Amino acid sequence: MSASALTPLPPPPGVFDEMLDAGLVPRAHYAAYADWLASMSPEQMAGKRAEADLIFRRIGITFSVYGEEGGTERLIPSDVVPRIIAADEWERLEKGLVQRVTAINRFLADIYHGQEILKAGLIPEDQIVANDQFAVAMIGTKVPRDVYAHIVGVDIVRHGDGSYYVLEDNLRVPSGVSYMLSNRKMMMRLFPDLFRRYHVRPVEHYPALLLQTLRAAAEIDSPTVVLLTPGRFNSAYFEHAFLAQQMGVELVEGQDLFVKDACVFMRTTDGPKRVDVIYRRLDADFLDPLAFRPDSMLGVPGLLAAYRLGNVVICNAVGTGVADDKSIYPYVPEMVRFYLGEEPILKNVPTWQCRKPDDLAHVLSRLDELVVKEVHGAGGYGMLVGPTSSKAEIEAFRRVLIANPGNYIAQPTLALSSCPTFVEEGVAPRHIDLRPFVLVGRETKIVPGGLTRVALRRGSLVVNSSQGGGTKDTWVVDVGGDADPDGDATASTGA
Amino acid sequence: MLSRVASHLYWLSRYLERAENMARILDVGASLALLSGAGDERAASEPLIITDTLEAFGATGMPLTPEHVARYLAWSPDNPSSIVNCLEASRENARAVRGSITSEMWENINDTWLQLSAKRQGGAEPVDAAFFDWVKERSHLFRGITFATIRRDQPYQFIRLGTFLERADNTARILSVKQARQAAEAGGDGLTDYYRLSAVLRSVSSLEAYRDIYRDAIDARRVAELLIFDPSLPRSLRFCFDEVVRNLAELPQAPARAARRLAAHILALLEHGELEDVYGVGLDAFLERFLKNNIRLGEAVQAAYMEMK
Repeated sequence: MSASALTPLPPPPGVFDEMLDAGLVPRAHYAAYADWLASMSPEQMAGKRAEADLIFRRIGITFSVYGEEGGTERLIPSDVVPRIIAADEWERLEKGLVQRVTAINRFLADIYHGQEILKAGLIPEDQIVANDQFAVAMIGTKVPRDVYAHIVGVDIVRHGDGSYYVLEDNLRVPSGVSYMLSNRKMMMRLFPDLFRRYHVRPVEHYPALLLQTLRAAAEIDSPTVVLLTPGRFNSAYFEHAFLAQQMGVELVEGQDLFVKDACVFMRTTDGPKRVDVIYRRLDADFLDPLAFRPDSMLGVPGLLAAYRLGNVVICNAVGTGVADDKSIYPYVPEMVRFYLGEEPILKNVPTWQCRKPDDLAHVLSRLDELVVKEVHGAGGYGMLVGPTSSKAEIEAFRRVLIANPGNYIAQPTLALSSCPTFVEEGVAPRHIDLRPFVLVGRETKIVPGGLTRVALRRGSLVVNSSQGGGTKDTWVVDVGGDADPDGDATASTGA
Repeated sequence: MLSRVASHLYWLSRYLERAENMARILDVGASLALLSGAGDERAASEPLIITDTLEAFGATGMPLTPEHVARYLAWSPDNPSSIVNCLEASRENARAVRGSITSEMWENINDTWLQLSAKRQGGAEPVDAAFFDWVKERSHLFRGITFATIRRDQPYQFIRLGTFLERADNTARILSVKQARQAAEAGGDGLTDYYRLSAVLRSVSSLEAYRDIYRDAIDARRVAELLIFDPSLPRSLRFCFDEVVRNLAELPQAPARAARRLAAHILALLEHGELEDVYGVGLDAFLERFLKNNIRLGEAVQAAYMEMK
C-alpha cells in the first residue's frame, strides 16, 4: 500500500491549514481522519468521487449559471474530504454568531423606528437614509417580536493568524443550505466507516428547525407557511423545491398568490387558501410590482400593503438589505456594543470606506495589495483582488474607483485558510470559507457547522459556485470527550 | 393543492403518454412500410394524419418517405409533439413540481431525459425499433414507479387524468385513420387488410387480447368493438373513461361540475352503447364526436382546477 499517494500536501507559506499544523502534523481533531486517509488508495478515492458525482447528477442537485444558454445545469462539485471543526472552537463561533445576529436585528428594528443609533452619532445618518437598501415603506411598520432577519447566512473566513473573521452577513435570501444537507447525506453514504470513527454533530434537522422558525414568525397558532420562489429558472430552484418538500409546505410562485381585502391567498384546486407566513426566496424588489419594480412578473400585486397591515409575515422582512450592505458592515461591531453592551466575539475584517477621502487615498496607494468590492455587489462579481490582478487590470479598476468612490470599500487580502481537498494532484490544500446558517425564531439556533465553500483552482481565493467553487461537508466533532476515535476505529476494522 | 402544481402534473403525464403513443405509431408504421414496399406515400403519410401534422410536415419540404416522417415525428425540434419535445416538456413539468412527486419519480424522469440527451449526441437521432422500445419502456417504467410510490391523493389523480385523457385521444385517432383508409380502399385484397388491422391492434398492445377474446380472423368491426367498448383492455376508450371518471370523483367536487357531467355523459355512451349505434351514425362520425368531446373535457378539467382566476 502506498501511503504517500494520499498524504496531504503542505499549505503555502503564511496560510493556516485546517488539517496540518505548522509542523505539518495533523491537528488533534483531524488525526483519526489522517490515519484513515493513509489507508485509502487514490483509486479508491477517485471511485468514491465518481460515485458521488453520479448520484448528485441523477438526483438533479444542480445549479443554473446566469447568462448561459443550453447546458444551463451544472453540478456544484462536492469534495470528498470533509472540513472538520473542533467542538470547542465551534461553540465559540456559535456564541459570536448569536451575538452578532441579535445585534443586527436590534439595529434593524431601531433604524425603522426610533433611530437611536443615528441620534447617538455612531453611524452617519446619510449612510442609512440615502442607502438604496433602506426601505422607506418599513418606517413605523411593526413586525412580530421585532425580528427582521429570520434566516441569516454569515460568511466567515480564517486568516493566517488562525482567527476567524466575518466577511459578510447575508440577511436577504442566503442560499446554500441544501448543499450542506446533501453533502452530509452523500458523505454518510460513501464513508460510513468514518462516521463510526467520529461523533459528527448532526445537521439533518435543519428543515425542521427552519419550519419551527417560520411558524414562530407569525403571532397566530398554526399559521400556513409557504415558500415563495422566482421559479424553476432561478439558480437556486433546487434548494427552494428541496426545502419546501422537506418542510412539507407549498412551493409557490408569484402567480399562485393573490391579495384580496388586504389578505394573501394561494390558488388551489380546492379554491383560495389563506397564507400567513411567506418564506421569500426572491429579492424584496420583486415582491410587489405595485410597490417596487413595476416590471416584476415574479411578485404579488398588493402584497406589501397586506404586509404593512400585519396580515402576512414575510421572512426575511423587507428592508433587511440595509444591514448587510458592505457600507454598513464596518459598523456591526459598534452595533454589538451599542445594543447589547458587550464586546463583539467575532472579528470584522478591517475595512476602508472609499467614500472617505483619507481612506480612498490609502486604498489608491495600495491597490495591488487590497481587495476592493462594490458596496452592493455579490457573487464575486465587480471586485478587484489586487495581488492576483495584472497591472492593466489594476489601472482599469483605479479609473472606475476614482469615478465613483462611494460605491466601493476595500479590505486587506485575507490569506483564507486552506483545507486538504481531493484534486488532480492528490490531496492538496485549497482555500475555503464557511457559511453557518443562523435561524432566529423564539430562540436563535444554528445547526453545527454550515456550508464550507472551496476554491478548487490552485491558489484561487474565489469560492463562489458561479466562479469555479465547490463545497465540502462540514463536521463539528468532539475531541477528547467521550468519543474514543481509536477504540471506535479498532471496533469498526474488526467488524 | 396549488392550481399551478395540478397543471404541471397533468401535463407531465399527458406529454409522457403522448411520447409513448408517438413511438407506438411510428413503430408500427415502420413495419407496415416494409410490407407495402418503397414509394408508398400513403403509408408514409399515415403517422402524419394520425397526429395532425401532415401540413406542418409538408411545410418542411422534406420528401415524404417513412424515414423522414419518422425523423420529423421523433426528433424534430420544430414539431411540438415530436417525441423529443414531449419528453422534454414532460421533464420540465416534473422539474417545476419535483416537490410534489416522489424522488423515485423525479429521478426516473430526469434519467430518461439524460439518456435522451445521450442518444442525440453527434446527431445520431435513431428511429429504429430499439429506440421506440426504449421510449415505451421509459413510459411504462414511470407509470409503474408512480403506481408503486406515490400517495393516492390529488397529485396521483391529476397524473392519472392526464394519462387517460391523452390515451383516449390517441386510441380514437388511430382507429379513425386506419378505418378511413380501409374504407377508401374497399376491395383491397384480404392479406393487406389482415396486416393493417393487426397493425392497429399492435399499436395499442391489443393483438393478443383480440386473439384471446375472439379466437377468429381479424375483422374490422370487431377491432372497433374491442377498442371502443371493452372494459378490460387498458387502451380502449371505455377503460380510459372508467379511469377518468374514477379520478374526477376523487378530486374536489365543487369547481368541476361541468367536467364531471361531460365525463359521465361520455362514459354512459361507452358503457351502454353497442356497435350497432356506432355504425348507425358511422364509425368516422362517432369517433369525430368522441374526439371533440374528449378535447372539451380536457378544457373543462383545466378550467375547473388549473386556470388562474
